[in-house]
Amino acid sequence: MIEHDIIVIGGGLSGLRAALEAKRNGADVAVISKVPPIRSHSVAAQGGINASIGPDDSWDSHAYDTVKGSDYLADQDTVEILCKEAPEIVYEMENWGTLFSRTEDGKIAQRPFGGAGFPRTCYAGDRTGHNLLHTMYEQVLRAGVRIYNEWMVTRLATDSNRCTGFVALNLLNSELESFRAKSIVIATGGYGRIYQRSTNSIINTGFGISLAYRAGVPIQDMEFVQFHPTTLWGTNILITEGVRGEGGYLYNKDHERFMDKYAPESMELAPRDIVARSIQTEIDEGWGFSGGYVQLDITHLGKELINERLSGIRQICIDFAGVDPIKEPIPVQPGHHYSMGGISSGKDGLTPLDGLYAIGECACISVHGANRLGGNSLLDTIVFGKRAGEHAANAVKSIAMPSEDSLNESLTEERSNIDSMMGDGGESFADVKDELRQTMQRYVGVYRNRGDLETGLANVKALEKRGENIHVKSRVNAFNMELMNVLEVKGMLDIARVITEGALVREESRGAHYRTDFLERDDEKWLKHTLAYLKDGNPKLEYKDVTITQFQPKRREY
Amino acid sequence: MVYLKIKRQDESREWYDTFDIEQTPGMTVLEALFYVQEHMDGSLCFRYACRGAVCGSCGMLINRVPRLACRTQVGIAKKENTREGSGDIFVAGQKSESGEENEEILIEPLPNLKVIRDLIVDMDSFYNLVDSIKPWISSPEEHPEGGNLMDPDMRGKIEKYTNCILCACCHGSCPVAARDDTYLSPATLAKAWRMHLDPREDDASRQERLDFVDSESGVWGCDLVYKCVAVCPKKVPPTLGIKALREQIEKKKEN
Repeated sequence: MIEHDIIVIGGGLSGLRAALEAKRNGADVAVISKVPPIRSHSVAAQGGINASIGPDDSWDSHAYDTVKGSDYLADQDTVEILCKEAPEIVYEMENWGTLFSRTEDGKIAQRPFGGAGFPRTCYAGDRTGHNLLHTMYEQVLRAGVRIYNEWMVTRLATDSNRCTGFVALNLLNSELESFRAKSIVIATGGYGRIYQRSTNSIINTGFGISLAYRAGVPIQDMEFVQFHPTTLWGTNILITEGVRGEGGYLYNKDHERFMDKYAPESMELAPRDIVARSIQTEIDEGWGFSGGYVQLDITHLGKELINERLSGIRQICIDFAGVDPIKEPIPVQPGHHYSMGGISSGKDGLTPLDGLYAIGECACISVHGANRLGGNSLLDTIVFGKRAGEHAANAVKSIAMPSEDSLNESLTEERSNIDSMMGDGGESFADVKDELRQTMQRYVGVYRNRGDLETGLANVKALEKRGENIHVKSRVNAFNMELMNVLEVKGMLDIARVITEGALVREESRGAHYRTDFLERDDEKWLKHTLAYLKDGNPKLEYKDVTITQFQPKRREY
Repeated sequence: MVYLKIKRQDESREWYDTFDIEQTPGMTVLEALFYVQEHMDGSLCFRYACRGAVCGSCGMLINRVPRLACRTQVGIAKKENTREGSGDIFVAGQKSESGEENEEILIEPLPNLKVIRDLIVDMDSFYNLVDSIKPWISSPEEHPEGGNLMDPDMRGKIEKYTNCILCACCHGSCPVAARDDTYLSPATLAKAWRMHLDPREDDASRQERLDFVDSESGVWGCDLVYKCVAVCPKKVPPTLGIKALREQIEKKKEN
């Protein structure tokens, strides 16, 4: 049994920031991650991080844009924290070595992003995530935080409403080990790979969310799934919103800048949900190019600007689509991008399960509501990572190490669970996974309606049945990828089920959740958060109020 | 169709397996490996994460060239000689004589690191080399009001090196790393130069790092053959950083 005061599951930006803060506050802290921290999906973030550091900007202007962007589903008390703490978080990262892009006079440069009333997004070219993650990792090394690389956590252990630790699989040799801790922080990121088209890393299966869900923790607002308007046609690699921020135009096959039909004031810089639906409508109505895409054109921006601020995008287009955006437009289509929902947690990352925290994309602290604005997710990871780390470090001072009983029990259960999966015959994880991803893309996508959602739900339930019968044929011990995939597919099914049921019940259109059979937002019935609890193998839905402080809901127009 | 000839390895033996798979338009080598893993042989293992050439997980030897599997197109690798049997490491694919597709791609683990299994190598030894130079900015706790200022030109100089994703392709191509496992590696030395250049770094740490790389395992070990520069998927030029570090060391010694 391995022991630490605090163990953070996940080595992306939020997990590393939590670990760093806990360490700075004197705690014995470790990070456990299925990939080395610098391989985490945070590294792929391109566009930037929001902070109201401009001379005419203010935190409450940032908060207003965030709440409006969220279609009034965000909790305004947590949004206030996000926006107030943003400038300090950005300056801190800058001081630790992040290579932000600069203005002529040497200050941190900012670019416009969708749904923002001010050029508020600080950026490092189009590699902001890479810069932030490497900087954060460097500071974690400097602080001497213990890191367990290439371990997959498979089950949380609990004892009378307290999280006592977890069981993890060492990918190097397939051995199971129990980890005991006074506090556990889940920071495992999103679940993009349950959709066929996703900008997410292949590792983003949402397993951390299912860990908490299976331990009895509610997951919140899962029906709100963000589709990014511009992903590269074919591979769905992200083409940052910064491309539109720098002045890119969207064209349909008749070379019309079609955004004037949908958001005449904001055009390409309307929020993501609106631009994603606009592109999907063009494609669905036959105005897209053959194969289902539209064009994102930056040829007019010139080689110099593209090489300076969008060089990563240029390289991605060349490598993955054979298109040089200096010379020709980029083929793009909407794709899954971000999870607004996640493990229900509060302003310090605390979940309803004692000793368990959740932060970053796997969490729902509800700063993004029904639709996240670009530049707010990197901010969310660092602001709430820091808060959770500080809170956990203070909390463990007065908490005793839990007894070993629940961990020994969990270890035994998990051994038998994995033993029962090994063997020939049965279903293949790849078939179940592929069908799940197709189902979610087809029936629980950008546009939703009762009929599709019911079909989607029936499919997911059928796949859950098949999921019980998946076997691991490979018996190798070192890096048994098949075993890891089988475990993950089961978690993916949990998440798909909750998203689909939540979307079916929510009879309104709000932010990224768009019902063609209920076109309007319905505040009277649906200005509330969805909570899903696992009860007897099924999600049980409950609802709770949205916290509203200074911004009363009004119609959202751009 | 395409044949993937993959080097396999476990604790006790080494062998090659050939998998015959259907090539789809735009297919990358990483996608082809997934096809094998999911449908043909679940025991095949390799690392991956982003599939978009930003995380650096899937560095491997493809037709004897260290590169990222995720951004290497099957269609392009097929048109190259596999250079099977060659003990050399190359910096670019070599078009087959006829210019026609030869149907086969040779896939092997990244050289100069111990193999754990199949295409998975021991990256910890590589990371330990990188970490030995204390690769972080030792800035003071308090930042100046409004953040530090930085000249955009200086930012441009540093950025070339900041783009490193630690994929170890440079390490796999490096003849010095091949003969000396204490050599710090092109990636490490590129990072040392990145930290050295940064105006936010404090002078004592900068000097300490300069002293540390002033050795045969450090900047003086480099053969200056530029293989690392040629294979880097992010266009980082480690050799230029190494030469610049040498100049700094010599300048300090003269003073």
